[in-house]
Amino acid sequence: MVIPSALNALALLVMPLVLTGIINRVKSLWSGRKGPRLLQPAYDLLRLLRKSSVYSNTTTPVFRIAPWVFLVTGLGSAAVTPLLGAHALASFPFDFVWFAYLWAFGRVATMLAALDTGSSFEGMGAAREALFSTLLEPVLFLATGSLSLSSGSRTLSTLLVPHISMGNGSALVWLCSVIALFIVLQVESARMPVDDPSTHLELTMVHEVMILDHSGPELAAIQYGSAIKLYVGASVLATLLNPWAGLGTVATALANLALCVLVAVAVGTSESLIARLKLRIVPLYIAIGLASAAVALLATAWRAGGRP
Amino acid sequence: MLTSVLLSIPLLLLGAVLAVALRSNRAAATVAALTQGIACLLVLGGVSPLLRGSSPLELTWSWPLPLDQIAFRLDALGAFFLAWSLPMTLVGTVYAAGYLRPYFSKGRHGGPHFALLNVVSASFVLIYTTQNALVFLLGWEVAAVAAWLLVIWDYRNQKIRFAGFNYLVSTHVGLFVLVAAFTLLHSKTGSRDFAAFGRYLSQPTATRGTLFLLLGTAFALKSAFFPFHTWLPRAHSAAPAHVSALMSGVIHKAGLFAFLRFTLLMGRPDEWMGWSVLAFGALSAFFGVLYTSTQRDLKRLLGYSSTENVGIAAMGFGVGYLGWSWNIPVLAVCGFAGGLLHLFNHALFKCLLFYAAGAIYRATHSVDLERLGGLAKRMPGTAALFLIGGLAIAGLPPLNGFVSELIIYSGLLSGTAPSASRNVALVASAAALAFVGAVSALSMTRAFGIAFLGSARDSSVHPAEDPPASMWLPMALHAVGVVAVGLWPGLALSLLRSTLTLIPLQASVDDVMRPLLPMVYAGRVLAVVLALTGVVCGLRGRASRRTTTWGCGYDAVSPRMQYTGSSFTEQFARVFESFLPALRREQVSTEYFPRRPGHVHTHHPDPVEQRMFEVLGQGEEFVVQASTRIPEQPRFAFAAGLVALLLIGALLLGSGQPW
Repeated sequence: MVIPSALNALALLVMPLVLTGIINRVKSLWSGRKGPRLLQPAYDLLRLLRKSSVYSNTTTPVFRIAPWVFLVTGLGSAAVTPLLGAHALASFPFDFVWFAYLWAFGRVATMLAALDTGSSFEGMGAAREALFSTLLEPVLFLATGSLSLSSGSRTLSTLLVPHISMGNGSALVWLCSVIALFIVLQVESARMPVDDPSTHLELTMVHEVMILDHSGPELAAIQYGSAIKLYVGASVLATLLNPWAGLGTVATALANLALCVLVAVAVGTSESLIARLKLRIVPLYIAIGLASAAVALLATAWRAGGRP
Repeated sequence: MLTSVLLSIPLLLLGAVLAVALRSNRAAATVAALTQGIACLLVLGGVSPLLRGSSPLELTWSWPLPLDQIAFRLDALGAFFLAWSLPMTLVGTVYAAGYLRPYFSKGRHGGPHFALLNVVSASFVLIYTTQNALVFLLGWEVAAVAAWLLVIWDYRNQKIRFAGFNYLVSTHVGLFVLVAAFTLLHSKTGSRDFAAFGRYLSQPTATRGTLFLLLGTAFALKSAFFPFHTWLPRAHSAAPAHVSALMSGVIHKAGLFAFLRFTLLMGRPDEWMGWSVLAFGALSAFFGVLYTSTQRDLKRLLGYSSTENVGIAAMGFGVGYLGWSWNIPVLAVCGFAGGLLHLFNHALFKCLLFYAAGAIYRATHSVDLERLGGLAKRMPGTAALFLIGGLAIAGLPPLNGFVSELIIYSGLLSGTAPSASRNVALVASAAALAFVGAVSALSMTRAFGIAFLGSARDSSVHPAEDPPASMWLPMALHAVGVVAVGLWPGLALSLLRSTLTLIPLQASVDDVMRPLLPMVYAGRVLAVVLALTGVVCGLRGRASRRTTTWGCGYDAVSPRMQYTGSSFTEQFARVFESFLPALRREQVSTEYFPRRPGHVHTHHPDPVEQRMFEVLGQGEEFVVQASTRIPEQPRFAFAAGLVALLLIGALLLGSGQPW
């Protein structure tokens, strides 16, 4: 148990930065630039940590604590995720509820910090984030709930293991959950087509506009926290797609890492080729996830052969 | 032992009489608090053996006609409710003494108000111990009328009188339904004793379902379930803060108590009952939380959130009903434990939030979110306590709301239902609960963020400081409860343990909690990490640079530009437009150089109330029209006759008599 845990912790430390680096590199390549180093996000973090913070006169201690709460909740959710396809650092019954609620806590913290600055832009970002999160929460629960029903397991690290072999219907459960969780990943990590992390116009941002006033170590905490969320989301998907998931071999871990990299490349590519959706369309986009998760849930009943 | 519990009733009434008689407000408050304190000790002394699992206490008084005899019976269920109802009312009385001080200094006599708080406490003892339908109705009515009189403390204000009247009418509609149910039971059993009711209800008769629906409706009206909630936001925004707190947190829990009392009398429920309780609870939670998202008035917002939270508790009870009807002990205990714990948790954090809203009102004379802002700097203590309550009500770990919702989730997501389609329905309910939690987080972020953070939105609001000790101590007490139950749920579950043994199934709280214990430990770790984070941030934040908020290049920023409560939920309300109708009045100039300022006014009325008033307003017209047309046109007479025949047929079928 020690070695997998150590590897998980190592992956948790390094991979978020690597994935962010890969996304940036892919985006540069698509736009014909050479791009920054793969580990540039790590250097950025170190630079931010060395700087001192600037606080607005309007803010209260909420603003100072919130970024760290965001980071802690990100780490807490990563702890129950099978980052390398098999074991999680910690695993207990209904840890997917814990996972969802920690993400919610992190969002509440950043929204409060945004409102604390009294800036109209940051309030706008918080309002958007709040709307998306309310729509996203049932998607997450429907997808994980139907995977849990279909696999008969109650921990995140076991319910994500693909079980297509179990016969009719579970392939549909699996497919619809993958779609739903991919949309969750896109929205939660504030990526295209929901949010444009590299835009320069505050009015069109969601996540970025909420953190305009953060600086120095606080900004580092938020950026690292977002990177962790991205990696956690990617590894949830990777575990679902990983054919060797749950085995705990070297192949499992490597396949998971490769799939995470693939997700990062996909994110970078879509960010280079697709335009952001209109903000009014985003709820509809999340509704696709909701519908797909609902189909997954209904398919669990079908898989059971509709026994009364 | 039961005699000493019942002795608290005359004691409380004596305190009430003294409070009215005494001239000085300070003396009245002291007498009320003192008698309530002694009553608490008497009651806690009586209930503590019951909570540890000793057998129920019984007592019968013979009484002249029309009652013959009055039976009192205190079992673990009543003991659980008594154990926190009286102490919380005492805390509310202490808060009242501080909250009403500005009125006292203007010469208002507060004696009757304190007396009414005593009467409410006495009615709890009556309701939670009696076994007699008439005495139960008496306690029910005393509590309702006392609550009404407490609400209209500021009776010179017409709006407040209207809110009080609205409450009075609604609660009596509920009373009629309850009387109907009791009359039906009396006609079937010839007795007014609950034990006789229980013997009848546990048999599978045709009236059992009817009675379940009647009783359910009456108790749902009491606890302000959707769509019977319309009186609640009005009453809560009109009443003094401690009255709102006690009504929402404590008094109206009597509805859910009565529901559970009759559940236990009824014995093993049918499956459809479980589904209807679950669906009704989910509906209530869904609409309650949607309405919280658009409220401007902080106390109205908290009022709607009560509808949401009783809905969540009812979802738990629905799971319990289903588990019981399917004979799955762990699922049944899980549902009831989650529901009961959520009731208790709701009392803890809702009182805290109402008290904090009262502190805001005392400091600023407003609870209108659009006018507030930046209060955290002037009232840091209130802000911290409100934040704790808000995070707890949003169900975030590691606070108490998370624990009770987690227990309910563990039932909904257990996958132990006897068929796949039933499991699907349960998981779908879990997703609904997740949505409710997320919207609740949105509403609380909005309430805290708009009122306490940013800068003041209205320069005519001059915030004062944190409230006096008599007001913040009750808040702090509740906040300690919120954190303690979150970190050590065993504290609250020990109150429930023997209540759950009343369900005749072989499972205990421990069976439910065993798989959830790791999550409780994880919550503690999270709490420690967050506390450390807070300390470190507090230490290193001092020596930092300060500047203005980044205005994206614009440097004439004014507080009026901040996001407001309405703009924060504008997009959300648009997505749920069909459930959250908005009224918009605007007068915007179309000239290029407007000569006078335009204005926009948006308002989210309660759709249920609006529709109700519409029906009431047009209903009379409809009846008049119909009654004039029936004699003129034979086909209307025919249709009316058909409806009457159908009604009579349904009544005959419903009574289960062969004819």
